[in-house]
Amino acid sequence: MDNKIKDIFGRNITRRDMIKLMGSTAAVGLMGLASPVMAGNLQIPKGGRPNIVFILCDNVQYDDFGFMNHPFIQTPGVDSLARDGIVFENAFITTSLCSPSRASILTGTYAHKHGVKNNHTAWTGQKTTFMEYIKNAGYDTAFIGKWHMPGKGLPTIPSIDLFVSYTYREGQGSYMNCPLIVNGKHTPPKKEYLTEELTDRAIEFMEKNRKRADGSQRPFCLYLSHRAAHPPFVPPKDIRGMYADKKIELPGEVDSWFSKTNGNVFQGIMVGSYENQYRKYCEVITAMDRQIQRFLDKLDEMGLKDNTIIIFAADNGMMWGEHRCHGIRRPYEEVIRVPFIVRSPWRAKMTGEHRKQMVLNIDVAPTILDIAGVHIPADMDGESMLPILRDIDAPGRKAWLLEFWKYYPENTPSYVGVRNMTHKYIEYEKTLKPQLFDLVNDPREKNNLYGTQKGDKLLPGLKAMMETLMQGNKVR
Amino acid sequence: MEKQDIKRRFFYPVLIIFLIMTISWAVYSIAWRIENPAIHQTLATITGTLLFLSVTFGTLFIYPVAYFRGASLKERILASLINPFLWATKENLRLLISFSFSESLYYYLNPLSIWLLCGLVAQMGIAEMFCRHIFKKRGEVVHVLTPGPLAAVIISLFLVITLFAWGQGENVYVIFLEGYRKIFGSGL
Repeated sequence: MDNKIKDIFGRNITRRDMIKLMGSTAAVGLMGLASPVMAGNLQIPKGGRPNIVFILCDNVQYDDFGFMNHPFIQTPGVDSLARDGIVFENAFITTSLCSPSRASILTGTYAHKHGVKNNHTAWTGQKTTFMEYIKNAGYDTAFIGKWHMPGKGLPTIPSIDLFVSYTYREGQGSYMNCPLIVNGKHTPPKKEYLTEELTDRAIEFMEKNRKRADGSQRPFCLYLSHRAAHPPFVPPKDIRGMYADKKIELPGEVDSWFSKTNGNVFQGIMVGSYENQYRKYCEVITAMDRQIQRFLDKLDEMGLKDNTIIIFAADNGMMWGEHRCHGIRRPYEEVIRVPFIVRSPWRAKMTGEHRKQMVLNIDVAPTILDIAGVHIPADMDGESMLPILRDIDAPGRKAWLLEFWKYYPENTPSYVGVRNMTHKYIEYEKTLKPQLFDLVNDPREKNNLYGTQKGDKLLPGLKAMMETLMQGNKVR
Repeated sequence: MEKQDIKRRFFYPVLIIFLIMTISWAVYSIAWRIENPAIHQTLATITGTLLFLSVTFGTLFIYPVAYFRGASLKERILASLINPFLWATKENLRLLISFSFSESLYYYLNPLSIWLLCGLVAQMGIAEMFCRHIFKKRGEVVHVLTPGPLAAVIISLFLVITLFAWGQGENVYVIFLEGYRKIFGSGL
């Protein structure tokens, strides 16, 4: 009889390992209930719970990577994650704006619940972040990079051991010489380029975790949040111009003047042709990828690869002229669909697989808690992705809520909508006509079915789903 | 210098740029609906360029024409500002799709409008000195370089450059947003 059993990820472990793991997990849980301080001092045995690294990029269209067959962009680092991990083809964000999406990632809840409704609405800390739960379970924790949630300065979050971020320029930071705040102290950067600085800090955190003064080793949870690829796009000097000679195929509905005109002469603060803006955007992504590769190499060098799970995602997608729109906010697929990869190396035989089930930004928190063996709080709207990671045929969610609150001065009215595997329905607060798209037969969302015979048939079902989700229930 | 009638010295130069601006905008806005990509791209390039030039640099035409037709300083300034103001107003009204009227009014203060205004003042200063230079060459007694237009050019060009150079305009945008939040909160 095979005496091997499988852990949460399906990797083979012995019964003895399992008993040790259960013992330590139970001890952490019990001591965590009894005293968070004691739980914080617990030593998790090597080979126990995995380290967790969550890498977030900013405003990146889901297919702007080499592994998605992009015509020229070079992203060997993320490509290797896709090759060694599992790619989620249907990953989405529930609010197409930076701050709400980021709050949803941290809290596992929809924006109407965590309260950060747009980039002007302050983070109140009314919902507990997954970092706090995981810290209480014995993890060393670090948040490094873009926090970007409104409020007076950065919040104080005791559960984060290392909090490196910035409030510069509304929390957007700058690619060059960005002033940092490290555990509450204003700190000048050591490196000129922000993405490199953040990667250095992430590596330092891992090294410190491995060299604890008392010789103990605890698992770590690292949240590495890049500014890339948020505009204005500033690639590092050695990458600048890398794609200058690349031919850009814009969507048919736009032209070189699009960024400056689009009916309003200039758009945002972009200067130069639309094609050039896109080239710079790609260069910023390549610069980020280079740092991701450096980080992954360091992980290998430190011997952590086999016990570290990596999640790579974006806070938003990005429109580059599709539907004659630029940026984020609108409920189109280019915006709400994001890149999402999970690498769990011990599942080597399943690497390079793709998953079709719909996963969301609100799933990140419960998934990380599940990985760490921490109970998922009932008030989280998201669901653990572990069943889908384990089983390609595991059932996914049926539908989810898409919500957006107007954000001055971006000219998109508030809206609420629902998306399932085949359709999307959006209701705007004012002015704009509702939209209903058949995502199977019209994946580019060119044909609004609202008000048509076909749309009328679909509408009651979609509205019912939306109501169910708005009431906080799941669509089964 | 003969002072021509108000139509010729004021309205016509404004109208010429206004027509270029509105026609190019109208054509640009519908060009993307043309299914032939070559025609679409050609039209968009031509009208996009004309639109940009008419809004941003229309002053370089209006101001000298008004000057040579005898318009007063007030008339020249007003004539130079009308079209960009109408354009900015159109942009503000566009925001009514999502926001209240008062919020759309605040949009007059957005960095691009400020940037545009600075650029227009610089152009007026340059045009003023250019016109004086032409008059002087024709034998009229006129001082080309005087403190007014010189200051207008130097200060506004300084602002045009520094507002952009200061974080590619992002820092000014941050100030604009801070002002918004002080007045309207989160806007929800």
